[in-house]
Amino acid sequence: MDWQRYWQGLEVPTPRTIYINDPLRNSFCPNWISTAKYSKWSFLPRYLYLQFSKAANAFFLFISILQQVPDMSPTGKYTTLLPLMVILIISGIKEILEDYKRHMADRLVNTKTTLVLRQSSWDRIMWQEVNVGDIIKALNGEFLPADMVLISSSEPQSMCYIATSNLDGETNLKIRQALPETAGMQTEQQLLNISGKIECEGPNRHFSCFTGTLHITDRSPVPIGPDQVLLRGTQLRNTQWIIGIVVYTGFESKLMQNAVKSLLKRSKVEKVTNVQILALLLLLLAMSLVSFVGSLFWDRANRAGMWYLSKEGGKSSSFGFDILVFIILYHNLIPISLLVTLEIVKFIQAQFINWDEDMHDEKSGLHAMARTSNLNEELGQVKYLFSDKTGTLTCNVMTFKKCTIAGIPYGQSSSCELDDPALLANIKNGHPTEEYIKEFFFLLCMCHTVFPERDGNNMIYHASSPDEAALVKGAKNLGFVFTMRTPHAVTIEALGEEYTFEVLNILEFSSDRKRMSVIVRTPAGQLRLYCKGADTVIYERLSKDSLFMAETLTHLEHFAMEGLRTLCVAYTDLAEEEYQHWLMDYKSASTVIQGRIQRLEACYDAIEKEFLLLGATAIEDLLQAHVPETISALLKASIKIWILTGDKQETAIHIAYSCKLISGHMPRILLNANSVQETHHMIHQNCQDLGDMLDKENDVALIIDGETLKYAMSFGVKTKFLNLALSCRAVLCCRLSPLQKAEIVEMVKKNVRAITLAIGDGANDVGMIQTAHVGVGISGNEGMQATNNSDYAIAQFSYLEKLLLVHGAWNYFRVTKCILYCFYKNVVLYIIGLWFTFVNGFSGQALFERWCFSLYNMFFTSLPPFTLGIFEQCCSQKNLLKHPQLYTISQKGKIFNTRVFWVECMNALGHSFILFWFPTKMLMHDMVLQHGFTTNYLFLGNFIYTYAVVTVCLKAGLEMMSWTKFSHLAIWGSIIIWLVFFTVYSYLWPTIPVAPEMSGQANMILTCPYFWLGFIIVPTTCLINDILWKVMRNTYKRSPLENVRQLESSKVKGFEFSSVLEKRMTATNLQMSLAAPQPHEFILRNNSVDLSAPHGYAFSQTESAVITQEELVHYYNTLVSERKGS
Amino acid sequence: MKEIPEQPLSRMPDNTAMKQQKLPAHHLRFSAKLVLSIFFGTGAFCLCMGVILILSAKKTKKVEINYTKICANCAEFRENAYNFDKECTCSIPFYLPQKMEGNVYMYYKLYGFYQNLYRYIQSRSNNQLTGEDVRDVENCAPFKVSRDGTPIAPCGAIANSMFNDTIILSYKLNSSVHIRVPMLKNGLTWWTDKYVKFQNPSFNDLPSKFAGSTKPPNWPKPVYELDKSNPDNNGFLNDDFIVWMRTAAFPTFKKLYRRLYRIHHFIQGLPAGNYSFNISYNFPVTRFQGEKAVVLSIPTWCGSGGFFLGIAYTVTGALTWLASFVLMAFHLTWKRKKKEVLQERSQASSRKAENTSGQ
Repeated sequence: MDWQRYWQGLEVPTPRTIYINDPLRNSFCPNWISTAKYSKWSFLPRYLYLQFSKAANAFFLFISILQQVPDMSPTGKYTTLLPLMVILIISGIKEILEDYKRHMADRLVNTKTTLVLRQSSWDRIMWQEVNVGDIIKALNGEFLPADMVLISSSEPQSMCYIATSNLDGETNLKIRQALPETAGMQTEQQLLNISGKIECEGPNRHFSCFTGTLHITDRSPVPIGPDQVLLRGTQLRNTQWIIGIVVYTGFESKLMQNAVKSLLKRSKVEKVTNVQILALLLLLLAMSLVSFVGSLFWDRANRAGMWYLSKEGGKSSSFGFDILVFIILYHNLIPISLLVTLEIVKFIQAQFINWDEDMHDEKSGLHAMARTSNLNEELGQVKYLFSDKTGTLTCNVMTFKKCTIAGIPYGQSSSCELDDPALLANIKNGHPTEEYIKEFFFLLCMCHTVFPERDGNNMIYHASSPDEAALVKGAKNLGFVFTMRTPHAVTIEALGEEYTFEVLNILEFSSDRKRMSVIVRTPAGQLRLYCKGADTVIYERLSKDSLFMAETLTHLEHFAMEGLRTLCVAYTDLAEEEYQHWLMDYKSASTVIQGRIQRLEACYDAIEKEFLLLGATAIEDLLQAHVPETISALLKASIKIWILTGDKQETAIHIAYSCKLISGHMPRILLNANSVQETHHMIHQNCQDLGDMLDKENDVALIIDGETLKYAMSFGVKTKFLNLALSCRAVLCCRLSPLQKAEIVEMVKKNVRAITLAIGDGANDVGMIQTAHVGVGISGNEGMQATNNSDYAIAQFSYLEKLLLVHGAWNYFRVTKCILYCFYKNVVLYIIGLWFTFVNGFSGQALFERWCFSLYNMFFTSLPPFTLGIFEQCCSQKNLLKHPQLYTISQKGKIFNTRVFWVECMNALGHSFILFWFPTKMLMHDMVLQHGFTTNYLFLGNFIYTYAVVTVCLKAGLEMMSWTKFSHLAIWGSIIIWLVFFTVYSYLWPTIPVAPEMSGQANMILTCPYFWLGFIIVPTTCLINDILWKVMRNTYKRSPLENVRQLESSKVKGFEFSSVLEKRMTATNLQMSLAAPQPHEFILRNNSVDLSAPHGYAFSQTESAVITQEELVHYYNTLVSERKGS
Repeated sequence: MKEIPEQPLSRMPDNTAMKQQKLPAHHLRFSAKLVLSIFFGTGAFCLCMGVILILSAKKTKKVEINYTKICANCAEFRENAYNFDKECTCSIPFYLPQKMEGNVYMYYKLYGFYQNLYRYIQSRSNNQLTGEDVRDVENCAPFKVSRDGTPIAPCGAIANSMFNDTIILSYKLNSSVHIRVPMLKNGLTWWTDKYVKFQNPSFNDLPSKFAGSTKPPNWPKPVYELDKSNPDNNGFLNDDFIVWMRTAAFPTFKKLYRRLYRIHHFIQGLPAGNYSFNISYNFPVTRFQGEKAVVLSIPTWCGSGGFFLGIAYTVTGALTWLASFVLMAFHLTWKRKKKEVLQERSQASSRKAENTSGQ
């Protein structure tokens, strides 16, 4: 595979030597693994380091330290330190909870058990106790605990089958074979007597490469290759047991080497927020500087006469010292609680995703799982979707659905499997085509490499190709049961009668040949060749006498249009001497050393001719539930979908059709080239053909294979290729290595400023899942690799719709509103400090009591951001799903960008202006108390503070689009909390030595009519502007969201909604029209473009395995394996 | 190794409205009707309140006399530090055209005196003022201790700069008889100040309570001689002192000085007639370009805070109404437009449908 070549040479690990049966000489890493972030001891230092490497936390730490300088802080010594500690403790608890889960999962893996040869007997020990050099016995169905070299197995030729879906996502079984030198070592005694060593390369991450040498004492060394290696995480299948020697353990196993700890992903919103925090920091510095300069001038002008401030000739304050005072005074401008608020909010949002019943797969009982919570809002901004095919779009379940035999199509019903009563009737009632039908099914029962296994009365078929299994199963359902395979014969039970065919030769499948054949001797002694393959290759080989060609071809087209995978089947009778002659030729070809494959294929070709057509099969590659609907909804939400698959081109195109990503007559640009020049030429040609339409959305599909992609990604071609790809509506990349998948995602991520999402189910998708902004894993299948590396795991592709359109959009609105609101409320309160500076001679005096000052974020205004972040709903989920266009609001990031941020800041500035100057003017005359009592600065401060809390809380209410009971609790609750706190706090001094200034304030303020008069007018004046602004905007620049909300609240049914929506949408986004293909004015005339209707051919046979298909078939004996089983 | 309890494969969340995010919610939408009614309502309320406030503010009666210039000679006299122990008085006659009925309060008003400076506000010892420890001068820099190291009581810049003019109001009963208007020195402070925040040290004999401390440098006499006549108004409990310690928010401020003792001629308040302020001028303000004034006032139910609040209400109300009229106009025109657009669209779409069916 290509990606090995990419990675080779990057690491040169030192080779290792493993001594067999000599545990003391093998000292390597233990088989114990840990994926947790912290251990007991590393928690504190590591956690603190991580926290303080966040700029905001470091800033607050810096402020806390500054506050410790005596006489420096106008806001007390611990007023920042305490909230900071509370925040660190809260997020620390969250970290511990999350890490605990990881520890538990690790423990589960580490304590799985396996059989190990210890002191001459098989002991069951835990995985974590397995060491390098141990001899392990694994039983059928077990997962392997470490990487090991296969010694022997229960099967003939010491083969074994393994499922590697955990590693590479491929679902077909793979075959491994032990060396003949060790195949006999099966008993405990034999194993204990082995003495020798294995020399092999050091641990690395390449799944299918291994070089080693087995040195057994007194024998010549034997090379060990990847075919003898069983990797950790694979599952043993169809094999009674295997025995192996452990070579790599724990983190050194290939599975763990591949599990790179993914880098922490940060969402776009988070990045923008960081910039905004920086902007606020600059604002803070600017404010401090202004105040500082002001204080210098003020001092120069006034200091001389101020006898009351200092003793005669007292020192004047030093520079630098003062500016720090101002920084401390204004530092709360940066919202200290923002980060922790967001963390909690996102955590709960993630829980909502986990709890969602609509994303609960009843069958597997799996819920959606948010594995990270910091990308929640990113889900609302996805522009490019990269999807794997197998297991993601499809279930990887093939069903034999339709067929055409002798020109008559069967299986018209939409039931899941071929079950046409007409077909059965035709067989039984002696229809003219009866013979053809029988021959057709005989072929299906014979022309394959499937192994049968009898399980009671039921037959289980093991096949490396799911298509073949589907065909054999389909035949079985119609009464043609493939029952037994012996090395040279196949037994089938057709309609109650048993036939045994002698299998003479298997002419193998390859992707060039696009067909496979078997040569059999019928029970009657006739030599016959059965062949199945792609329509194109079969049709060229049909004899002149062949019938039903035209009918079959039309049926084939129909099948293909329906998205079924088709195969043509044909046979020919061979004459005895012709066959003998050919056999000689074949034998000589199979012993040729150079160019054997070519010779063999030529040889096969010689006999595959003069076919007689029987008909064709149609297999459905079952899509997952609701995939076409989901895809069309996502397309409407103007998300671009790319399919990246390791599968063959034909299959990929097929699936693209059946899931409605490509429509019937959409032109397809096929890029298949063998060199950089050719690739460049093709891309250039296509770009030119597109002309002006380049860089726009075109109704064209681009299909490229892995080999060509390698050239297309090379320097110089890449940009053009990207341009071309971005101008196509659908992009299909086939035969990709995992690394290439990641590379494509990386390319789009880097060059297009848009959010990417990758979804996949297998280990081969891990790369792209980790690379994309958001990685989604399909859970529920056997492989957990994708899930474990994903950010979100869902059980079905169709859940993506709800995850993106509902949760994504909601979370985006929630998080952004929460952030903007946090900025708003801090700017409002803490800018007031600046206004006060203008009347107090730039002295740095705070207007509020120090603890009120710092608890503002912690208590009095902490609930509204949470409600915004957790319960806000821009509109109901029903409507979000009904109108996927609404997704574009969050996708384009319209409600959270630099402009919005500054508008919000200006608004906050305006509010703070009103909040300061209104009470100031009210109290200017100092005679507001009924008994003529004197007020003080804190009296003013508490007025302003209360008004600010009220304004800010009500502002949250205005921002909320949906009011739940929690909104009421948060808004009214916050105001009440402040008033209660204020009252209590005013009575503390001197019993509890805090806040002497506050003593008696509540008493005076709450009974002062002036206060209550202001209580009404000040927040009203602030907020009436906001309402006015909102209303004006709603009237003039109405968003589609507003329209939907209007409909929601007016509950008008049957109203022509789409017209209202469309009116707004057409101007703003062209993507609206995505669903309806646009006429394309360009002409794609080069030969890489395919305009024809799709072909249905598909085959998923493994090629060039360890053992050829023919050999494999000949090894297998149902009788033997059944004996062993019983 | 302990056995691990088997983890349930599927978590079965309760299917609550909260967890499924289907909580009953009220969707806040600003429909035209809602907004207009909010705006009209708010406007009406604010206008009413504004009118009421303005009317009641008009009722407040106030006499304010700035005596910085009138007593300029005294001010000059105070400029010279050597005259600190000499007295300088000045008398300001004025005519009260209407009688002031009710509780009359007398304030002193300072211009340009920054009581809100950070270093000034901080320069006090609340612990000392509660009477617990007279020697606690922790935060009082730069007036912590006297030159010989004795702790100052009351310490700090605020106490040191206490206002010390004496203002006496006299009423000209007839051409020859001047009577002193009776004024109360107590009842000028918040309850918490007098009973919680400020306490004298607990000794029987006041001077000995303050033993071991010394007077602030600017004071002519120690704290226990502030009001020798009334022990409840002496020491830290002196009302003038407490009032002064309540630091003002702005550089121009008033502080309550005396309240009218309503007996004899003054049982109703201050009758109309000729009055004069006799001021013993001690507090220097010219050095910081400040000014001093004396104010007589009767607060109403809502204090005597002036017209601002009334005007604010009126203006807000008026603007809100204005906005609502504008909005209404917009709304009506937009509604008509929308109708037209919808009609056009429906026509267009029907035409389109005809075309496609025609093909």
